[in-house]
Amino acid sequence: MKKFNKKLLLTITLCAFSVGVSAASLEDVDNSFYPYKSGFPTNPNIKPGLVINKDNADLAIDVLDPEMLQHIRDGWVEITVGETMDFILNGDYINATKANVGKVTLGSKKGQIDGYVAGRPFPEEPDINDPRAGEKLAWNFQYGYNWGDSAAISPFYWRYRNMNTSKIERQIKFDFHFLNWSHRVNNEPKPEILPNPSNLFRSIYVHVQKPFDVKNTQLLIHRYKNDLKRDNAWLYLGFQRRVRRLATGQVTDSFLGSDLMIEDFEGYNGRISDMNWEYVGTKEMLVPFYNHNEQKLTDEFEESDGYQFVDFHGKGGCFPNVTYQLRKVYILESSPINSNHPISKRRHFVDAQTFTLPRTIIYDRAGKYWKSWMIGQAHPDFHLAQNKGTGVSIDDSFGMMDVQAMHCTTGQFKGIVDPSLSPPKMFKVQHMRIKGK
Amino acid sequence: MKIKLTCWDYLSAPKKSIGIASIIIATLAIPIAADDTLEVDGFYENASNVREDRGLSKFRNTVQFEFVKDLGFWGAFSNVTFNSTLRGTYDGVYDLNDDEWGANAGGSIMIEDQVVGAVAHGQGLGSSNINSPYFGAGLPPGHALGFDILNNPNSGMDVLGQYLHVPDGGVTFGVPVRPCNIDPRGCINDYMDKSENELRFSEFNDRLDFIREAYFDANMDLDSGTAFNLKLGKQQIVWGRTDLFRVLDVINPVDFSRNNIYDELEDIRIPVWSAAAEWQFGANDTFEDINFQVVWVFDKFRPNNLGQGGEPNQILDAGSFFRGMKNCWDNGCTVSNFAGGASATDFGPNQIGIRQANLPEWSLKNSQLGFKIEGVYKDVGFSVNALRYRSQLPTLRGGIPATNSFTGQTDTAFPYLIAFDIDFPEVNLLGGSLDFYSDTLNSAFRVEVAYTTGEEFANTLESRLFSESDVVRWVVGIDHNMFIRSINANKAFLLSFQTFGQHILDHETESAPLGIVGMPDWKVNHISTLLIKGWWMNDMLSPQLLMAYDWRAHSGTVAPSVDWLISDSWRVTLTANIKFGDGAKKFSDCRTCNPFTPFTATPIHADNNGDGLPDSYDVGLGGFEPLGRFRAGPIGMANNESEIQLTVRYRF
Repeated sequence: MKKFNKKLLLTITLCAFSVGVSAASLEDVDNSFYPYKSGFPTNPNIKPGLVINKDNADLAIDVLDPEMLQHIRDGWVEITVGETMDFILNGDYINATKANVGKVTLGSKKGQIDGYVAGRPFPEEPDINDPRAGEKLAWNFQYGYNWGDSAAISPFYWRYRNMNTSKIERQIKFDFHFLNWSHRVNNEPKPEILPNPSNLFRSIYVHVQKPFDVKNTQLLIHRYKNDLKRDNAWLYLGFQRRVRRLATGQVTDSFLGSDLMIEDFEGYNGRISDMNWEYVGTKEMLVPFYNHNEQKLTDEFEESDGYQFVDFHGKGGCFPNVTYQLRKVYILESSPINSNHPISKRRHFVDAQTFTLPRTIIYDRAGKYWKSWMIGQAHPDFHLAQNKGTGVSIDDSFGMMDVQAMHCTTGQFKGIVDPSLSPPKMFKVQHMRIKGK
Repeated sequence: MKIKLTCWDYLSAPKKSIGIASIIIATLAIPIAADDTLEVDGFYENASNVREDRGLSKFRNTVQFEFVKDLGFWGAFSNVTFNSTLRGTYDGVYDLNDDEWGANAGGSIMIEDQVVGAVAHGQGLGSSNINSPYFGAGLPPGHALGFDILNNPNSGMDVLGQYLHVPDGGVTFGVPVRPCNIDPRGCINDYMDKSENELRFSEFNDRLDFIREAYFDANMDLDSGTAFNLKLGKQQIVWGRTDLFRVLDVINPVDFSRNNIYDELEDIRIPVWSAAAEWQFGANDTFEDINFQVVWVFDKFRPNNLGQGGEPNQILDAGSFFRGMKNCWDNGCTVSNFAGGASATDFGPNQIGIRQANLPEWSLKNSQLGFKIEGVYKDVGFSVNALRYRSQLPTLRGGIPATNSFTGQTDTAFPYLIAFDIDFPEVNLLGGSLDFYSDTLNSAFRVEVAYTTGEEFANTLESRLFSESDVVRWVVGIDHNMFIRSINANKAFLLSFQTFGQHILDHETESAPLGIVGMPDWKVNHISTLLIKGWWMNDMLSPQLLMAYDWRAHSGTVAPSVDWLISDSWRVTLTANIKFGDGAKKFSDCRTCNPFTPFTATPIHADNNGDGLPDSYDVGLGGFEPLGRFRAGPIGMANNESEIQLTVRYRF
């Protein structure tokens, strides 16, 4: 009885607290989407054009995470500072946020959210005293504009590299497709594709084009509006011509031998309820945001439209060769609830304007630094012509380094914000069978 | 009118096929450089197997090309592609180990005779130089026992089952084991009649098997918001959700001669000319996804390739059994321990054995039609499947006209006589499948079940020695990921467990005075498999342990292997395939079925029908051959076929 009362009291307190601090205002919305309206961050040591290397790494001690700073000190990489710029998200998404401002609350259980329709659910500044501030930031990421209502990465080159020898061990050519079934703000039908009997929120469909041994491998992930419901994932193996439902453990395993697990996609690809979330603080940091067309690009992959991919440099060729800019970030830590999870913690550096995850540090079960996760964000107006004006912060390059195994996987994107490339039928299990030979 | 022959007409099937293959490859290869709508992949692979006591059992060299040509829009169809897979194989085992598997395989054989120990093939009861305590003095004039040794010499033969078991007082006979162009004895026209070149180059035959696949794939978006997909051509159509077992995956026949049951089904399904039309209705208020497929296989019937006598891989050793039986029918044969259950007996032609294989001709009626509804309901993937098809496995139907060994009477269907035609009955299948995830067990489940009517099984209780039975087959599979952190800290192992069940619903057996008679197949049997697979070095090194166990046959196999993906181009796989367990099993062999009453009657046979002669029926004397194979199953029958297998693949 005593235990019950305690639990009830805690629940009531949490609910009351959540409601009490979530009364966001339109001003909060403005501040959230336009954090630089009063000016871009400045730092006396960090100026555009500066190349941070092992000789001057200390200049960046306040604006880089310790792990990246150490890599620079070790001579693994040099970082060139670029101009900070606004990444203003799609107007429909901002309007949806305004329309629903103040109506969204957290439920009593982690993973429960009430009153959410579309847009950024918690646009207010996180409060370090709010025990659920981290969870709210996680929701802002989960329901972020990300790839918009739908988009594709086609092609998407992954390379498996030995960091010691710089040898490229494997190269996989993918197509990735994303679709929001609900909470849509931009493309018809809005706010939801109906019928949606299983109440899907979002789906990701992956198709391997090359090499031959994994050709036609396909992955389909369904995430539900109810975050407490486990994601469903299916894998089609070309050499078996069968669709296999994935067990939970397989989303936290290396995906096709890469240094990424399915849960790492887009910075974090899991449920809110799978993690404990902690808001650590807000900082101005250097993160890989840039104009794609102004970067050093490579012509090693031929595209008929002349598109060129981001190049890589540094130790083992593991670092996207892009400029970093000073931006406002929220430091957010997530630790798995499942004690069998292969990691102990992720430290995410959440871009405050876009709520993307350009930088994440991953710690192994013993708490030791394991992986360095960099996702370069490109401005849509300086990318493919059809991406201009879409208001999508485009995932454009990635490097996932396993610093224990001295191995990395790099990713070179051709992200296209075009809903016609990702029709709903593509996100059905049956599509995998039909697409497979 | 005289037909003018060209050089082409004189070419053998393999040479013609190679010619056609070359033309196709050359035609497709021309635009590779110029046209980015054509995708081409290919590989060369060498698979070398070494078998205990036999030496090299495979030196298979495969070249495979896969083409996808994007044809864009065709009328109302979009995303039209032409897909083709061409495969050519040369198995050098017939040249490198021809004493075992080729032109010089086999030799002279001795057939067990419990009276005198053993006799040479052709020297059993009924030949001129044997005195047997059974019938020898009392053979009626005009008997037809014995055969012409010149037509059926004692060379190039093995004894049926000799690599698996000793005769042990049971039935055996000789099996010619050389390729059919070298020794045509026992070769069954259009079914098991491969020449040496057809064995070496298994895809280059009259059915143009080097064209593994050649089909058009097209989509159409319909006004209703649904979609339609059509695949038309030579293809594999895969039903079901489980590995290894074919409960619903029965549309394509299978080539067991490639590597028995141990190759991926992808590589051993025999593609068929067919059409698969699928309507994708998507989600509705009830189903998360719902689809309807119609499959029409309009190809001329293809049975499973079971392997023929003299090939290294034969499922159930059926190819040897059939070849020996066909030789018995055509040329006569010496059967061990037959007369009186003890004397090797020389049967003459057309008395016992296999007369012919009745392969269904092409007709609309013989084409195969299937329907499938597949979808997702409350997170559970499901399918409902129906198929009318021809059994790809053969049935031995007795009751064919034969010659009485003792009276010489011909063209009579003797009851319980072990003289057969091979037939492929019509089968109706109704089944379904499920897959779902259990949060409680953290495991994915796969289930398939099929109910068939029309299948036929050996049955020594029936006068034609077979009967029909409805059958239920099912598979339950569980996939679970488990960390064994002491071995691999960061990557879970895949544990995949499956159990297959078969229930022969109209099963019949009886206890007869000398043993069990009836249907040799188990009424209920289960086979379980367990796969444990791990990955290291970014999945480039993957050891696995695959185990299979037949619970009624008490036989199993353990196959540890290591797969090393050296680069995107090179892959090496080393496997040990180790068999264990009981191996061969015994069952009534119908020696005591008394087909030629009264000459074959035993003192046990009664005259129940009152015609003054002992009735024909099985009183149960048995041995390992031939029906024990149905009890031993595919694993038990390969009990002495443990192998080391090395496969090297280069992708280009």
